[in-house]
Amino acid sequence: MRNRVREQRTQRGLSQAELAAAVGVSRQTVISIESGRYLPSLPLAFTIARFFDLTVDKMFDPDDGEEGA
Amino acid sequence: MMTFITPRLRKPAVYALAGVLFAAAWLVRGGPLWWVSIMAVIGTAVGAVRLYRQGGTDTDEGARAGSRADERQQLISLRSRALACNLAAVTSFIGLTVAIAVKATWGWPFLVTFLITGYGYLLGLGNYGVAEEGTPDDADTGRQKHSPVS
Repeated sequence: MRNRVREQRTQRGLSQAELAAAVGVSRQTVISIESGRYLPSLPLAFTIARFFDLTVDKMFDPDDGEEGA
Repeated sequence: MMTFITPRLRKPAVYALAGVLFAAAWLVRGGPLWWVSIMAVIGTAVGAVRLYRQGGTDTDEGARAGSRADERQQLISLRSRALACNLAAVTSFIGLTVAIAVKATWGWPFLVTFLITGYGYLLGLGNYGVAEEGTPDDADTGRQKHSPVS
């Protein structure tokens, strides 16, 4: 599953640590989500999408074919 | 009780408690090996301090040691514990089987461990909702008499 977390974060000039603090997870988890190694839970996916003023389906693309953790 | 302790102190506190109990067991046992309890206390103190210091680091291990793990870190921890339990169950089964084959009297701890892991698994299924199938709604109770594929 592809996501636009890194793209949105860099567009807003945020560091991974700043995004992590804003959505209530660790910096390591942000790194894992951005690299596609970890699929966030539905509540966390909503939190991230809302933080960037996007919908979940705009933030996370399930049609990419690759399965995450 | 744990809520009264700051998150970073929780794991070191549990570790220290376990170490003190272990040391006390050696002390109560007495005999020429009483000094093991002193070594256990020293080892526990060193380990608890190391755990506390690790709890302050910006790593996955630090988050777990500091009791501030997020959902991914909790999932990793959960999977690790599940793997450990699987290994305990398999090892105890092998030990029990060998003990039976060689007519040994030391097989009962393997049996106890195997029963505990097995019962723990069933307890988990019950506690975490596998048995709660819920009640069917209207579509499943009457209105839909035939299988959609028939």
